[in-house]
Amino acid sequence: MLVFLLRTIKFALQGFFRNFWLSIVTIIILVLTIFSISVVAGLNVVASKAIASVEDKVDVSVYFKSTVSESEILNARYRLESLSEVESVNYISRNEALDNFKKQHANDPLILESLEQLETNPLGATLVVKAKSIEYYPRIMTFLEDPAYDDLIQDKNYEDNKEVIDKLNDLSDRIQRIGIIISVVFIIIAVLIIFNTIRINIYTHREEIGIMKLVGASNWFVRAPFLVESLFYAVLAVIICMVIMYPLLGVVAPQVNNFFEGYNLDLVQYFNSYFWRIFGLQFAFALVLSAFSSGIAITRYLKV
Amino acid sequence: MITLKNVSKIYEPDTYALKNVSLHIEAGEFVSVVGQSGTGKTTLIRLIIAEERPTKGRVIIGDWDITNIKQREIPILRRQIGVVFQDFKLLPRKTIFENVAFGLEVAGVNLKRIQQVVPQVLKIVGLENKKDRFPKQLSGGEQQRAVIARALVHRPKILVADEPTGNLDSINTQEIINLLRKINEFGTTVVLVTHNREIVNSLRRRVITLDHGMIISDQSSGKYIL
Repeated sequence: MLVFLLRTIKFALQGFFRNFWLSIVTIIILVLTIFSISVVAGLNVVASKAIASVEDKVDVSVYFKSTVSESEILNARYRLESLSEVESVNYISRNEALDNFKKQHANDPLILESLEQLETNPLGATLVVKAKSIEYYPRIMTFLEDPAYDDLIQDKNYEDNKEVIDKLNDLSDRIQRIGIIISVVFIIIAVLIIFNTIRINIYTHREEIGIMKLVGASNWFVRAPFLVESLFYAVLAVIICMVIMYPLLGVVAPQVNNFFEGYNLDLVQYFNSYFWRIFGLQFAFALVLSAFSSGIAITRYLKV
Repeated sequence: MITLKNVSKIYEPDTYALKNVSLHIEAGEFVSVVGQSGTGKTTLIRLIIAEERPTKGRVIIGDWDITNIKQREIPILRRQIGVVFQDFKLLPRKTIFENVAFGLEVAGVNLKRIQQVVPQVLKIVGLENKKDRFPKQLSGGEQQRAVIARALVHRPKILVADEPTGNLDSINTQEIINLLRKINEFGTTVVLVTHNREIVNSLRRRVITLDHGMIISDQSSGKYIL
């Protein structure tokens, strides 16, 4: 078995080096394919992380009129908490609201002075409602539209965040669509190139194949070197792709991180923590692609 | 050793390469198969090495009916039958040693055994001093001897030679025939396909004559009769 394996590798290496430039072109195409798919997957990760981060920041702030009593607000909080869509409801009392306001405008003496002149706290209490999922917010908003709350609620804010999320979703969908098209084009090119390379290699080796069969080489011994050769392409392509991607990530990551400042997103860290999974997926993908393409060429052109 | 029972081979649509051929070759025999071009000699060889399947009839090698041999069994058969062709079929980028070793390499034989067997067969064919040369550095006769050496590495029970002297001058031809005789003396069944009248007449062994795909003569100590 070991002898079989070593000789298969030897013949595969011979095939690789005899058509060296063809092998190089095949590897380049495979690198481009894996790279494009990785970039699409990477953009997906960035987009989904960004969406998740924005979603995490989404909440509905319900501003109550300053005249509304605390018991009425706590009653509304209780009713909101009993909704199955609601994750949490945070109560900010009138005093807390005033403290927060003062902190926010600590550098604006005019506002602070105006506040001093008012004898009573002009701010109402707020309930910050977080839903279990972003899709539940419209239902929570509907609940708050109840006429019973008309006299209590001064204002609600939600719409702005919704727009950001919709835009992100839309952008992510577009990136995904374009990415998939590019990847599919590269996959088709890669399949054709690998297929053609193996076909030419079979042609180059036709004399040797004929003699192999004549002297009693098993069918697998005749076929295996071509399959192994295509696996070389896959291995080399994945390694080259990783070697290109890592430094490129180092360049791109700070800018992406800056863009999403405040959101929990670190591309390099993500890549490092999922290195083996990414490597494994790329490797599996390249192997399947190579085996598939060379398999067709072998079945079609290598009659044993 | 080799038995053909009522074998016909038809190439579509209606060309008979062999027509109802029956023959039996005993183990250790030296048989010449003669006939003009296109009489089915090469088809006969191709049936014996399972490169072709008969349209009708049965082909039996030893106790093995190879009429409907499975694809994966063909390599096992080929290791029992050495084959020599007119056009040598040596790999130009390999040395003579490597060419001969190739037969063992592809059969999965280990390196130690290869280094043991190859010099032995090179000695039998008289090429032990030219093992490091490339095919183009050898004469036609020497190249054919290298091919015979490659055919012998599996110690086959049968050696099939299809026009092995077709590209050789008379001196080299005689050398190859002497070599085939020597191999036959070791107990290997030899089937020689040839056009060469002189060889057949000088051998004084069994001669099977084919004409239009049929056996028209089978003499135990025959001559070239066409």
